[in-house]
Amino acid sequence: MIDARSLHRRYGDFTAVHDVSFSVAEGEIVGLLGPNGAGKTTTLRMITGFLPPSAGRVTLDGHDLFAAPRLARRQLGYLPENVPLYPDMRVGEYLHYRARLQGMRGASARRAIDDALGRCLLDDVARQIIGTLSKGYRQRVGLASAILHAPKALVLDEPTVGLDPRQIVAIRDLIRDLGRSRTLILSTHILPEVEQLCDRVLIIDRGRLLAEGTASDLRTQAGGRSAIVVGFDAPPSADDRAAFAQLDGVEALDDAPDGDTADDATTLHLRQRPDADVRADVFRCAVERGLTLVELREVKASLEDIFVRLTTDDRADAAPNADGSDAAPTDAEEPAP
Amino acid sequence: MSAFLAVLERELRAVFVSPLAYVVLTFVLLANGFIFWTLISHLSDPAVAGAIAPMQLFFGGTILFWLLAIAVPPLLTMRLVSEEYRSGTIEPLMTAPVTAGQVVVAKYLSALAFYAFLWLPSLLYAALLARHGRVDWGPVASGMLGVLLVGALLLAIGVVASSLARNQIVAAVIAVAAILLLFMLVFFEQLTTDETLRAVIGYVSPVLHMEELAKGIVDTRRLVFYPTAIGLLLFLSARILATRQWR
Repeated sequence: MIDARSLHRRYGDFTAVHDVSFSVAEGEIVGLLGPNGAGKTTTLRMITGFLPPSAGRVTLDGHDLFAAPRLARRQLGYLPENVPLYPDMRVGEYLHYRARLQGMRGASARRAIDDALGRCLLDDVARQIIGTLSKGYRQRVGLASAILHAPKALVLDEPTVGLDPRQIVAIRDLIRDLGRSRTLILSTHILPEVEQLCDRVLIIDRGRLLAEGTASDLRTQAGGRSAIVVGFDAPPSADDRAAFAQLDGVEALDDAPDGDTADDATTLHLRQRPDADVRADVFRCAVERGLTLVELREVKASLEDIFVRLTTDDRADAAPNADGSDAAPTDAEEPAP
Repeated sequence: MSAFLAVLERELRAVFVSPLAYVVLTFVLLANGFIFWTLISHLSDPAVAGAIAPMQLFFGGTILFWLLAIAVPPLLTMRLVSEEYRSGTIEPLMTAPVTAGQVVVAKYLSALAFYAFLWLPSLLYAALLARHGRVDWGPVASGMLGVLLVGALLLAIGVVASSLARNQIVAAVIAVAAILLLFMLVFFEQLTTDETLRAVIGYVSPVLHMEELAKGIVDTRRLVFYPTAIGLLLFLSARILATRQWR
């Protein structure tokens, strides 16, 4: 549906996007993930035809975006970052304008507008002036204007940025709903959003595509990060610690696990081999040594870990990697505590 | 075509409901009323020799007319493209199935429509004169044509300026500077002895053309020059708009 081939984008001497290729199949929801300034917006601008790439090509539903722009653009709904709207227009007026821009008129335009208003829960503000709407409503007006012409592909640039938590939930529900019937690509730097919404993730940093796959693919790629958290009612002795470290399947004891604030003295973090599950052994060992367990759980590598890992590994490399090698830096050392 | 009409309709609505447009309208009406009053009281003074038609002076015969010509078109055009850049609405606009040329022409026509609307009431002055004396309608018509032609050119310059700048004020300043430069060509014409240069200035100077048209002389060279120059400027503006996205 969306096919991007070796996109490059330079602004003067600065390369914002370097050799990014991906394709999005029909009906798929893909998340473009990266820190701020990674090249997400530039990439999306190129696949929507707003920004011509310095090199590379984009096809939408088989139509080349720059050779046959009108055909390609009809297949596309685009919600730019920060949702630019005309503040002095009424919601209904704006949607009518957008419908006509897309070549719709009369009854079919009317129907499309009503449908979009209904889907985006905007019926009660249809006559309101856009400038007076809250951010959440503006976001929905932007979405409504992007889906008016029933595009096959929808491109959303940071659709939940600047919203309050309740609005975020509402917009995500809406996006999920919209994604059921069409191809959708969205950019974000919020990781849980990607896990919740997307079938597939593209991780981009400093203009390069670092990794690509489903959330679980990426987890496997980053492998060996599965850990067991064991909590005791009292701090275990050095002997106890050593005993747990020697269990079959345990690779090491981690002192400083990321993102876990539990009390270190009474808690052990066991890094286990990717294929092992040592929880039962941990329990038996604790019983043998007369220790009381208050907590025993497995922590899967989160997308966050993978993300931080990929983006910091890349930064640590003095020389930029060749394209193949930076796709899966799975064998990288643990970052020192 | 539908997309072009959609942009045109939106722009017309935007200009005809904007407060700035009515401030400009009020100002122009006041200034024109003042010009007309000054001319009539001056010309009806028995001490003033010679018979010159008031409407001939009204169209381009006063400094105030040219001040309006410098100030008004940039005020009408500065918003057109700059505001879309500034607010980011250029992005949804240019990713819709509409070309840069259609967008530029639609915006230009909306400004031209309001400009014509600004000048419409000045026909009342001619009607007023007709009640009290004889009016030669030929020069009035050609004077009006001159106002529209010159205005159309200046508005096209304003559109180019607006497509260059993200900031409306900067767009207005660029337009004013360009228009001043164009007007100042008249001084060069008077200073230089170079025949070629004088001839070239004669072809392009709105000040000289207005003089002719207000007298009732409609030179077909002007009828060719203005539409051509406007077409060229709008083409330039569309190219700027299309490549502006590249940065």
